[in-house]
Amino acid sequence: MLGLARLVIILLVALTIVYISLSLYSRSVRRRKLEAEWAEEGRTGDRDAFVREGLEDYDGSLRRKLILGVYVVPLALIALIIYLVNFA
Amino acid sequence: MAYVKWGFILTFWTVVGAFLHYTLPQTDIVRVVNTYEERQELGDWTRIFWATPDDQSQNLISRDVQFIQTVRANGRPMVYRNEDTGWGWPPYFKFDTANLYTEAADAISTAAEPRWYALRHYGWRNEFLSSFPNAVSLRPIEGPDVRIIPWLNIVILTLLAAAFYAIWVRWRRFRRARIDPVLEDIGEGFDAAGDAVAEKRGRLSRWLGSRRSK
Repeated sequence: MLGLARLVIILLVALTIVYISLSLYSRSVRRRKLEAEWAEEGRTGDRDAFVREGLEDYDGSLRRKLILGVYVVPLALIALIIYLVNFA
Repeated sequence: MAYVKWGFILTFWTVVGAFLHYTLPQTDIVRVVNTYEERQELGDWTRIFWATPDDQSQNLISRDVQFIQTVRANGRPMVYRNEDTGWGWPPYFKFDTANLYTEAADAISTAAEPRWYALRHYGWRNEFLSSFPNAVSLRPIEGPDVRIIPWLNIVILTLLAAAFYAIWVRWRRFRRARIDPVLEDIGEGFDAAGDAVAEKRGRLSRWLGSRRSK
């Protein structure tokens, strides 16, 4: 069972690093897009407020939850391999 | 310098290629002849060619290993080991060693009445190092001439090539934007320093010359 523990820990650490980097990157891309959008729409109103509102929308969006796929896809893949190798 | 650079590149890709060739699954068309168990010494560096099926086996210097003896479609013999990979590397997650051993025993046939099987495995057979490929699965096929398309390897290698290409493109872009200008600056600095030294030496030798001529 130690082998399983080792695999889970290594996977958890690696995937968490990927997850955090990916979410930071995705948020920065969204921020850049919002800033460009604000500039395009004639620079009306407060820029920071506009960006903050947009990012709050982003926080509740499906796109952000899709980043959880970083954990789901490898684990599903492992489950599939286990099934195909041992039970199919 | 160019030889050193190409030596590094060649070594790197040889290691990557060997690693993939060892780890990715391959399928042989075989006829199973027999199965046997043999105690194996695991004390030296050839340990890397044996699996670590569970935690205890990490510390053992010898243990029994199952083998599957076969004759391939081209008439040459091939012996596979049959070991769990467990949760370790390579990630086959094979736990059904005993089942596969039973299947192999059930698949035994003679040269007179051959029954052909596709045997999926990874690893290398090397007579000098006594290394054996690890059998992963066994399935019956119609005959020795069946064509097997390695879909899994095609998918994995394509994804890997795409990943390598993506990294390479970004690295080149990064180098052109950040590293090349700095190197050019350093080069220009060296050139300037070299010119200054040459000029100084010119003055010195001129001065020496003027002393000598007197």
